[in-house]
Amino acid sequence: MNYDIIIIGGGPAGLTAGIYASRARLKTLLLEKNITGGLAATTDKLENYPGFPDGISGMDLLERMRKQAERFGTEIKEFEEVRDVKPLNKRIEITTVQGKYSALSVIIASGSEPKKLNVPGEEKFRGRGVSYCATCDGPLFGEKDVAVVGCGNSGLQEGEFLLKFVKSVTFVEFLPRMTAEKILQERFQNRKNTRFLLNHKLIRINGGETVSSIVVRDREKGKEEELPVSGVFVYVGFKPNSDFLKDVVKLDTSGFVVTNGKTETSIPGIFAAGDIRSKDVRQVSTAVGEGTLAAIAAEKYIQGG
Amino acid sequence: MSEEKKQPKVVVSSTPSCPWCSRVKSYLRQRGVRFKEIDVSRDRAAARDMVRRSGQMGVPVLLIGSRPIVGFNKSLIDRLLGLK
Repeated sequence: MNYDIIIIGGGPAGLTAGIYASRARLKTLLLEKNITGGLAATTDKLENYPGFPDGISGMDLLERMRKQAERFGTEIKEFEEVRDVKPLNKRIEITTVQGKYSALSVIIASGSEPKKLNVPGEEKFRGRGVSYCATCDGPLFGEKDVAVVGCGNSGLQEGEFLLKFVKSVTFVEFLPRMTAEKILQERFQNRKNTRFLLNHKLIRINGGETVSSIVVRDREKGKEEELPVSGVFVYVGFKPNSDFLKDVVKLDTSGFVVTNGKTETSIPGIFAAGDIRSKDVRQVSTAVGEGTLAAIAAEKYIQGG
Repeated sequence: MSEEKKQPKVVVSSTPSCPWCSRVKSYLRQRGVRFKEIDVSRDRAAARDMVRRSGQMGVPVLLIGSRPIVGFNKSLIDRLLGLK
């Protein structure tokens, strides 16, 4: 099937690109390996996305973006995982598990997924106390003691969500300071049932059938401590969904797509937007902006500059 | 679903805030699959039962007949329910 633009990924960046591309009356296909929404849809409440003074659930916001893209004509195919991207005679060929497509321009918006800790016990207890989605699994840990690893925005936000259910949250942060927004940090001042272990490294996750404790090391003093917890929620950053892009476009050392300010990748006609880009800030608001840039750049490219 | 009576019993254990849960439920509705829904955030006994059956402390968990399926595993769901 031939399209003008194919967008890979159905998170905020991809869906926004879909809105702009369709409104430009370009024949637009969006391929999503899972369901649309991306990582942002797993956020309990987005409080920093403009336009929603009382916050909005990630799921709600992304559902609205999907409807908006579809309304203007973006064709969305879910559960279509892209295997290969190949520039071929002024067109770009895309191979998925199910079939082949071709487009004049491609926007990569395949996003990122939560990074793993790579500590003993993490794989073994995944789904048995180790979780990467507090909004999904948090309610199963009612009246239990849990740990949240990582004190960035995600860690503190999801920790706050968990406190609706759990008995206590111990936050473990590798750095000597928290990187979350100040407003999020303030909410934990004098808060009961929380403990912060900054400058601590999680060494090991222990348990039988399910998680029973974690071992942390004080990075300054070198002292190790075992903490009894039933759950470990991991928020230590993101890794790119870029396996299918190796040897296609230039990636940075961590595997994110290298672009310039116009979202152009190393290959003409291929653009990248959102979390998959090599950059410092990964927010829904920046993904939306980059989706816009990429769609407009792709339109110009198709029109011949 | 060709014959309604042929459909095995389907139970979906979920939590209200879980995006995957709501998508799996809307998928089943879209395909005309009847299912029972359990909110494991409210029903502690059901939550324990789910963990025991599936060995999982994560949602969604589907029970198709007696077979637990963890997460939105579309191809497996399609296969077990004979959906095309």
